[in-house]
Amino acid sequence: MAQDLAGIQGRQLTPDPAHSAQGRRARPGLWSLLAFPGIAWLCLFFLAPLYVVLAIVFGSVDPIYRTPVPVWNPLHWNASQFTYVTDRIFGSNAIFGPALLRTAAYVAVASLVCITIAFPVAYYVARLAGRRRGMLLALLIAPFWISYMMRMLAWVNLLADDGLVNKALSLDGLFSVHTEWLSGKATVVVLGLVYGYVPYMILPLYAGLDRLPQSALEAARDLGANRVSAFVRVVLPMCRTTIVASALLTCLPMLGDYYTNDLLSGSPRTAMVGNLINETVLTPGETGSAGAFVMIVLVVSLVPMLYYVRSTRKNELVAT
Amino acid sequence: MTRSPLAWWRDPWRRPKVLIGVTAAYLVWSLLPVLIAVLFSFNNGKSRTSWQGFSMRWYWGDQTRSVWHDASLHAALVQTLKLGLITTAITVPLGVAFAIGMDRWRGRLPETANVVMLLSFVIPETLLAVALLFVITTIAVPFSLGTTAQVIGLVTFQLSYPAVLVRARLATIGRQYEEAAMDLGASPIGAVRRIILPMLMPAIFASTVLVFADVIDDFVLVRYLSGDSSTETTSVKIYNTARAAPTPALNALATLMLAAALLAVVIGFAAYRLLTRSDTASADRGIGAFAGEV
Amino acid sequence: MPEASTPPKRLRPVTRTNAGLSRREFFERAAIASVGVPSLGALLQACSRSSRSSPTPHASLTLAAPDHPVSWPISARNEPIADGLTPERNATLKLYNYADYIAPAAIKSFEKKYAKYGVKVSVSTFNDADEALTKVRSASAPYDIYFPSYDQISKLVSGNLIRPLNHSYITNIANVWAAFANPWYDGKWRYTVPYTVYTTGIGWRTDRVKTNIANLPNPYDTLWDPKYRGQTGVIDDWHTTMAMTLLRKGITDVNTDKPADLNVISKQLSDLSKTTSPKVTVTMYNDLPAGQLGQTQMWSGDIVNAVSYLPKGTSPKVLRYWFPSDGKGLVDNDLMVVLRGGKNPVLSHLFLQHMLDTKVSLSNFSFIGYQPPQRAINPDSLVSQGYLPSNLAAAVVKEEYFSVGYRLLELSPANDAAWHKIWLAYKAGS
Repeated sequence: MAQDLAGIQGRQLTPDPAHSAQGRRARPGLWSLLAFPGIAWLCLFFLAPLYVVLAIVFGSVDPIYRTPVPVWNPLHWNASQFTYVTDRIFGSNAIFGPALLRTAAYVAVASLVCITIAFPVAYYVARLAGRRRGMLLALLIAPFWISYMMRMLAWVNLLADDGLVNKALSLDGLFSVHTEWLSGKATVVVLGLVYGYVPYMILPLYAGLDRLPQSALEAARDLGANRVSAFVRVVLPMCRTTIVASALLTCLPMLGDYYTNDLLSGSPRTAMVGNLINETVLTPGETGSAGAFVMIVLVVSLVPMLYYVRSTRKNELVAT
Repeated sequence: MTRSPLAWWRDPWRRPKVLIGVTAAYLVWSLLPVLIAVLFSFNNGKSRTSWQGFSMRWYWGDQTRSVWHDASLHAALVQTLKLGLITTAITVPLGVAFAIGMDRWRGRLPETANVVMLLSFVIPETLLAVALLFVITTIAVPFSLGTTAQVIGLVTFQLSYPAVLVRARLATIGRQYEEAAMDLGASPIGAVRRIILPMLMPAIFASTVLVFADVIDDFVLVRYLSGDSSTETTSVKIYNTARAAPTPALNALATLMLAAALLAVVIGFAAYRLLTRSDTASADRGIGAFAGEV
Repeated sequence: MPEASTPPKRLRPVTRTNAGLSRREFFERAAIASVGVPSLGALLQACSRSSRSSPTPHASLTLAAPDHPVSWPISARNEPIADGLTPERNATLKLYNYADYIAPAAIKSFEKKYAKYGVKVSVSTFNDADEALTKVRSASAPYDIYFPSYDQISKLVSGNLIRPLNHSYITNIANVWAAFANPWYDGKWRYTVPYTVYTTGIGWRTDRVKTNIANLPNPYDTLWDPKYRGQTGVIDDWHTTMAMTLLRKGITDVNTDKPADLNVISKQLSDLSKTTSPKVTVTMYNDLPAGQLGQTQMWSGDIVNAVSYLPKGTSPKVLRYWFPSDGKGLVDNDLMVVLRGGKNPVLSHLFLQHMLDTKVSLSNFSFIGYQPPQRAINPDSLVSQGYLPSNLAAAVVKEEYFSVGYRLLELSPANDAAWHKIWLAYKAGS
């Protein structure tokens, strides 16, 4: 019957090497053409700007206006602006060290708190929610539709001196609570980071936990493992990559955050590296330092970034 | 049927009350501040912390400072929507083409390009913003700080979204439909256009909606690459004014943005349901399939 | 025929890892890089943007000071506009200013006055003077009018960033204090007109700070008093705050370049961090009345402005301001200049004329709280006329202050760099 069909269509059924699927598929021309605009865009607007950053950091400074003068040829690069920053990270003149350390600490603590909040929620919604899953998922995705600024603004209102938090704590007049939440408290900044970024962790965790085979868990329970043991020995190892990938997806963007600190605390005592970048990038004479901080953050986050990339690609291979 | 607590604890298939509690607490903590902020946008007085009665003053009532009457808030709203639409219109086709091309193309170059694309997914936004700011201020590019620069930055930052979503979907679809089509005589590009693209519709829609929702909330790139006040978006406006002298008009502005994003998602989801009526693969996954292909 | 014997490509183990470069591949890539990067460099060099301002052949800035007045030359390339031109039609006049530093009513009255030309005014804001100057210098700044202080005047003029003014449009200069017709920073007011005058002192709330700061032996000490930790503020302006630390120590040269003095500043700032850990902001006019701050370094205009930000139920009597009564504190004035990058020079001149009008500047005063140097204002009667409450009488700016007060002058590039380094170290929270 296939023969008849083929005959009607005027086609031959036996494969013709020149027109075989394999032959056609082997030409990469079509696919490279499709991918080319995207690749060109990324090169032009992602990779090239990183080179411009290098040219500015290793460039010079106009003597009068102290604006940055980029030096394009690597042979003429001058490392003084870069070493100005690196020399002041450790040692006796460590003025930038505390901010970098503080950033690492805040991001680490915030990520841990995010995981402890996001994992139970994602686990429940992914595996145990049953019919309510769609609605819960919509509520979990809701923060993505709400501007980050508005969510922070909401907290600024609540934590204001006459805001609802103080009112609630003072039990509407019983005590007199006037804690200055917004005046340079590290815990407030960390909680602000958690509040802002935890939705970014829940979704990938949900997606990963969703894929876990229920049968493995049931088998473990059938074989006598109690709840804790089944979780620790079966579930956790299986979703380890997911947890790590979600954590990276959340804590890497946190490294560039400066507005959370700006809104929730005006004080230099909680300054993060994002604040340093923000402070220096438009200040005459300090743009090179901004570029140096950018480079430092990039290098520090490159290893986790590459790890994330590698683990995602492995997931792609495995998922099929 | 009441059970003793011990029996409840020992039941392996009990309702996970603890987890339900945690989830409920999280949702309250996550959404309540926003609901309060939305509530205060209807406040009658100037305060954002003490309720003084219900009114639509900050939406259109107040003659100088409501969203309707304050030209700068208008401009912010318009700019936000403009950026959202233009960026999405560029990012989604670019990303989809990129994903399809990369999926089929083998070799060193596409693998490197894939790594670069994933890197652009996780890079802190501030770094990209500063790098592009440097480009614009030091190289004689044909555009300057303003809408064009903002669009370029946003597209670069968002490109990986459709690319990742579409690639994941492509991996799920597999090659068989395309191969069947080509065996029946379709050219490769015909197979892509008529077989693959329709099957990718859920992922394309999901990425359109996600990119749009993400762009209208974007802050860092838009602020660094903005020119004068006419290119400030609502996020930047909120940030600039929140540190100075905010009125509930700000809350009103943010509520309007929330409504816009919600509308976009609802439309997207409805369109998605319409298009995948007959798609058995994603029939019972609902919102999960729509958003969870990360 | 589909490959039945060979495994599908996707599931074959990945043999190439990032570390697995062969020698040949490594040299290939190094060769490409070594050729590619310098040629990329040459390409970028060719495309380099020259900023709008070109530095003059002189290798140094002329710095103005009250005892060293400067008259800026008008170059042939940058002549004032002609007399009697009609305003640009359907234009948007772009102002570049601090937030909340110009009254919406003043803007609206200008738009109404020139409604037949279809003029609209838009205000873009900056957070600090450094950022503003950088944006103004970049070729993409389309602003018409800028509101700097005179500590940027030399850079603005020698960088060809501002237009010389045509005085025939700005007859209202007669309304301002006589000194401004020939200020030391701009001889014969070729490039600037004054905007506001202000002092920098300390503002506080009596319900948070029980002592009267004005009666302390050294009122500046209160900002370092650990009792007020968590409710203190300082101004987010490097020169203002650092100068204040010098005044606390009795050093009156607030533009010093002596390393010993710079060390004093450094030490004071780190002490400040340790004792009161203040909020560093420019929005104390909102934060003090809102209760975020109890005491703060403050500009005189901000404390006047703060009265209108008090929540319902808090009396304005709770606010206080201190400035040395002999005038020996920080006094300054802000300017209005017309930027060369702006597209509406005629409208800009007309706007300057509008803002110097007595009625307009008084209405501006009642909104922003900063006093305009208008002759029609008798500083001693501002309280009785109701512009500010009696408890804030110290916020009035008297003309006499300007002969004894200390001004924040423009620093030489090297000194400017040194001061900025200290400020960055402070802002980094070290």
